[in-house]
Amino acid sequence: MKEAIEATNLVKIYHGKETVEALRSVNISIKKGELFTLLGPNGAGKTTFLRIISTQLMPTNGKVSVLGYDVETEADEVRRHIAVVPQDVATYANYTPWEYSYYFTMLRGVSKPQARSASERALKAVELWALKDRTCATLSGGEKKRAIIAAALASDADIFMLDEPTSGLDAVARRSVWAVLREMVEKGKTILLTTHIMEEAEMVSDRLAIIHKGSVIANGTPEQIKGLAKERFRVVVEGDLKALGLAVNGNHVAKFGSKSIIYVKDEDEAIDLVGRSLKNGLKAETAAVTLEDVFVKLVGGGVD
Amino acid sequence: MKLKIVKDTLIITSLKAFPDLKRQPLMLFLVGLISSLPLYFITVFGGNFGLGLIGAMISAVSFIGMSAAIQDMAFDKYVKIREMIIAMPVHPMSYALGVALAPLILSTPSLVFFGVVALLVGGLTPASLLWAAIAVVLCWACISSVGFLISTYLQKASTYTLNSMSNILGIMLGFLPPVYYGEEVLGSFSWIAAIFPTSNAASLIRVYSGSLTLPSEVFAARWAILITTTIVCTVITAAKSRWREP
Repeated sequence: MKEAIEATNLVKIYHGKETVEALRSVNISIKKGELFTLLGPNGAGKTTFLRIISTQLMPTNGKVSVLGYDVETEADEVRRHIAVVPQDVATYANYTPWEYSYYFTMLRGVSKPQARSASERALKAVELWALKDRTCATLSGGEKKRAIIAAALASDADIFMLDEPTSGLDAVARRSVWAVLREMVEKGKTILLTTHIMEEAEMVSDRLAIIHKGSVIANGTPEQIKGLAKERFRVVVEGDLKALGLAVNGNHVAKFGSKSIIYVKDEDEAIDLVGRSLKNGLKAETAAVTLEDVFVKLVGGGVD
Repeated sequence: MKLKIVKDTLIITSLKAFPDLKRQPLMLFLVGLISSLPLYFITVFGGNFGLGLIGAMISAVSFIGMSAAIQDMAFDKYVKIREMIIAMPVHPMSYALGVALAPLILSTPSLVFFGVVALLVGGLTPASLLWAAIAVVLCWACISSVGFLISTYLQKASTYTLNSMSNILGIMLGFLPPVYYGEEVLGSFSWIAAIFPTSNAASLIRVYSGSLTLPSEVFAARWAILITTTIVCTVITAAKSRWREP
């Protein structure tokens, strides 16, 4: 079996004052040893998907398996193979990174020496070993997050599920988490990551799915997803396009104050547009479209 | 499997108790101080000090038992410890027992202190010590199960609401009913003592220490009420609470 996680026609409906269809017939297959990212805006259904996969929430319909074990009927087996970092996880102020790792690893049923060595490895991997005995109250946001990741990492689970692990972190801390995630994949672990940070999805994912309003609207490698857009290049121009007589040939334009992003189909067109902008005294630069450009287009916002 | 449930209970108890104990040792004094506050007034206003000591023992477990069952559960949800544990091979019983047992560790020094003083000044007799310990443990189990029941029914309440509620209930159960004073004070309403696990346990200890006499059938009924309340609350909690959300 090559699939680590397989969701088939997964449906989740929340019944409350209002009925909310959080997941609508979602089909996702995640291979062993890959880092798969669920990318979507807030409220898209990412966390619901992760909570079902991690046996915290029951699905309404559909079939979900983790390493071949059904999450509904074989939850105990699933739990032996996974480790979860929940969304917006906060740390308990009185715990140290060591206590987080050690106690949570002990709950896996390992011996004390095994828990000690696993905790040491995990804390060294996230570069928190030097701070292992400091209480979380004295750690920075990034260090706290890494303490929780270390607690998951020390479990040596086969599959790690991380729900927006870098939200709220600065760029440096975020990159250090990315490095840890990629190292885990290199060691053969499977990672399911959710994020709404486009750069993160583009940088760390082997494959990703874009989820919007409970449905998967795109699925593939970052390059394949970027290939879904007709336009392959973006030209960023600063200045009033109309006032300076710059024709944009009906291309899609996104305006942000004095800056505009013009999406064009090929490189020649992009270079031509940059040249014309510069001749008209405008600042301009071009690059390939980003995942964010494609994402915004797919979820239907921000492009005029 | 059963061994793992016990082992996990102890791990969760350690996780919930020892880091706090290590870094906030003043918590131990706080538990004792809150429980012994009424003793000051009892001493000043000439009340029965022996009864007050039994009350202090009861409130040492009841106040903190209630806050553990409600506040800890709410706080665990906030810091997502519970979510992390649900997704681990841990039995829900281990988690609930671990959460409930941790504060008992924090209460133990106060319990021992009040117990020893009660023995010395006559609130307790050596023969009543074992029964007093059983009544205290049952009171803790009962209060914890009531707390779990409340937190199960108020899953969507905010942490602040739950904190306030646990403090109000802790004070109501620990200080208002006849815990620090004799149920005889209530006259024909002395049956009220049986309703609250705290005052019920206090009265049972007093019977064993010889400061209260109850008819044997009432005495048996009091034990039955304490045990039944614990079992009923635990069963309802087990039936209504969901380890995994539906």
